[in-house]
Amino acid sequence: MNRARAARTAALAAVLLLAAGCGGRPTTHHKPGTSHEEATAGAGRLLAEKDAAGHRYRELPPGQDPSVRLAARPDSEDGWNLHLTLGRFRLTPDSTGSGAVPGRGHARLLVDGKETARLYGTWHHLPAAGLPGPGPHRLTVRLHADDHTVWVRDGRPVQATHTLGEETGEKSGERTAPPARTVELTVAGGRVTPPVGRTEVNRGDRVTLKVRSDRDDTLHVHGYDKAKKLTAGRTATLTFTADRTGLFEVETHGAHLVLTQLLVR
Amino acid sequence: MTPLPPAGELATLLAHGVGSRHDLPVSPFYAFAGAFAALLVSFLGLGLLWSRSRLTGEAAGRPLPAAVQRCADARATTLALRALGLAAYLTLLAHLLLGPDDPARNPAPAAVYALFWAGLVPLSLLCGPLWRRLNPLRTLHLLGRALLRRPEPDRVPPASLGLWPAALGLAAFTWLELASPAPASRAALLTFLGAYTVLQLAAAARWGEAWFARGDAFEAYAGLLARLSPFGRRADGRLVVRNPLDGLDATERVPGLAATLCVLLGSTAYDGLSGTAGWTGTLQTSPLGRTPTATLGLLAVIGVTGAVYALCTAATRVRGAGAAFAHSLVPVALGYLVAHYFTLFTTEAPHAVALALGAGPGPVPEPPLEPGALAGLQVCAVVTGHVLGVVAAHDRAVRLQPPERAVSGQIPLLVLMITYTLGGLGLLVA
Repeated sequence: MNRARAARTAALAAVLLLAAGCGGRPTTHHKPGTSHEEATAGAGRLLAEKDAAGHRYRELPPGQDPSVRLAARPDSEDGWNLHLTLGRFRLTPDSTGSGAVPGRGHARLLVDGKETARLYGTWHHLPAAGLPGPGPHRLTVRLHADDHTVWVRDGRPVQATHTLGEETGEKSGERTAPPARTVELTVAGGRVTPPVGRTEVNRGDRVTLKVRSDRDDTLHVHGYDKAKKLTAGRTATLTFTADRTGLFEVETHGAHLVLTQLLVR
Repeated sequence: MTPLPPAGELATLLAHGVGSRHDLPVSPFYAFAGAFAALLVSFLGLGLLWSRSRLTGEAAGRPLPAAVQRCADARATTLALRALGLAAYLTLLAHLLLGPDDPARNPAPAAVYALFWAGLVPLSLLCGPLWRRLNPLRTLHLLGRALLRRPEPDRVPPASLGLWPAALGLAAFTWLELASPAPASRAALLTFLGAYTVLQLAAAARWGEAWFARGDAFEAYAGLLARLSPFGRRADGRLVVRNPLDGLDATERVPGLAATLCVLLGSTAYDGLSGTAGWTGTLQTSPLGRTPTATLGLLAVIGVTGAVYALCTAATRVRGAGAAFAHSLVPVALGYLVAHYFTLFTTEAPHAVALALGAGPGPVPEPPLEPGALAGLQVCAVVTGHVLGVVAAHDRAVRLQPPERAVSGQIPLLVLMITYTLGGLGLLVA
C-alpha cells in the first residue's frame, strides 16, 4: 500500500467518523464495512468449503476453543425446550452482520440437516409443528461468526447434536411424540369413579385427563399447576407432558375432591 | 388453559399446608434391604453388644476450646440470638397479618411448616439445643416482665406435669398441619400462633422462665432432637463434643416423655398414611366429613403407636420401663422425621426465604436428590434411627436388669423397635 492511498483512506475514515458523530442517519442497516461479504482479515482463516446453506467455513485461530452442548427436554404443552451450554463463546446478536471476532457470534439450529432458526440465546422453544413429520429427528446446533461464517476446528464445524425421540427408550423411534396415557374420570354426587387410585406414568409421557363432572368446577394438577374449567355434564380434556418426577394430586377445586394421584417415575 | 384458581382456595388443599409434590414411593427393593439390615443389626446387637452399661450420659464429652465456650456464653451472643429469634417471629406475624392469603405468594405458611418445623431437625442436630436461645416466646416473656417490672415468680412448674404440655402442644400443631381443613390459610395460622403465644406467656407468667424448657412444645421437641447432636453441655456446664448416644442417655426421665415421642412418631406416620390413595379416598367418601375423619385417623395412629409402646415396655417387666426406655424412641422418631420432611425442607424452605426477601411468586425449587438417591436416604434414615434406638435401649437394659435377665428382657424392646421400623418402611413404600 503506498503512502498516498493510506492518506486517502485515513481522510475517508475521518469524514465517516465525523458524519457519524454529527448524527447522520445511516441509509442502510449495513454499517460501512459490514456487508454480507465475509471479512477476510483478522479472525481466523477463511476456508473454501461451505455448508449446505452456502456459508463459508472459518478455521478458528490457535488458542480459541469454543464449545457447545445441546440438551432437549419435552415441553409440558407442546414440542421441546432446547438448551445450549456454551463454553468460551458469547452470543452477540447485536453485532450480527459485522466482522468475525473469535469467541463471538451466534448459533444456528438445523433439523435433520436443514437450517431452521438462529439462536441468539441459550434457550429455544421448538414447537412440534416445526418438526418435519414423525420419526426421530437429528438436531444440530452450529456456532457461526457475526459475519455468518461457520466456526470450524480442524476442518469440522463446532457443533453439538441431539436426536429427538430416542431417549424415551423406544426401539424403532417411529414417533417423535412420547407415549400417551389417557385417564377418564367421572365426578358425580361428590363421588369419584373410578375410586381414587394412582396413575403411574414415566417421566416424559403425555398425559391426557378426560374429566366429566356433574357440577361446574376447576380441574387442577398440583405440582404442574395445570388448570382447566369443568362445565357440568361436559367432558373436559387436559393434556400435558409429565416432565417432573414425584407424586402429584389431581383435584377439583370447588368440591375439593382428589380424582387421582399422578405418579411420575 | 384457564387461569389458576383464586388465591385462598389453594390454601385449603395441600396436605402439608405447603408442598404440592409428594415424594415417590420407595421401591420395595430398598425397603426390603432396609428391613433386613434392621433385623440383622437388632439380633446381632443382642448377642454382641456390651454386657455392662457403657454410656455415661451427662458426664461424658470432650470439652470444646475455651474460646468457643466464651464466645457461646457471651452476653452479646445471647442478645444477638434473642434478637434474631424475635425478629423472625415478628416478620412471620407481619406476613400473616398483612400478606396475601395465598401460600404461593405469602412466605408465612412455608416458613412455619418447612423452614421452622422441619428446619428444627437439622438445626438441633447440627448445633445442639440452640432453639432454646432463639425462642422468641422466652424473649417476649423477659421483655414483658421487664416492662411490667414484675419479678420472676419463685414457683416452678409442678414436676408431675413433665412433658405433658409439650405432648399436647405437638398434637395440636400436627393436627393443624395434617388434619385441619385449611392448614396454610392465614386465619388458621394466625389463630394457632396467637392462641399458642398467649397460653405459653400465661403459663410462663405463673411459673417463670423455667416453664419453656418442658412446657413449650417446640422447645421441648428441639431439645429432644438436640440430644442426638454431637454438641451439648455437660453436667458442669462445659460445652462438649460427645458421642450422640451419651447425649441421648442424658435425656431427663420425666412424665410425658414417652407420650411426646409417641405423638411425634404417630403424627409423622399419619403424614405418610395420608399420602396414600386409599386414605385419600376414605377421607373424601367418609360420612363423618373430612376433618373429623382426618382427626380420628391422626388420633388413632398416635394411639396405636402409644399402645404398642405401652404393651412392649410392660412386657419387659422392669419397674418404670415406660419412662426408662422412652429415650430410645428419639432416634426412631428422628429417622421418621428425616425420611418424611427432607424434600419439604430442601424445597419449600428456600422458597419461603426467597419469597420473604421479595422475590415474586416463582416455581418451587426442584428437590436436590434424584428419586433413587432420595429413597436411599429415606431408608438409611429409618434404619439408622432404628439401630441407634436399639443400642440406646440395650445400654439402658443392661444397666437396669441383672445380667442373666438383660438379654431376654430386651426382646420386647426389640419387637417394639422392629414394629416401628417395619411400619415406617411400609409407609415409605405405600
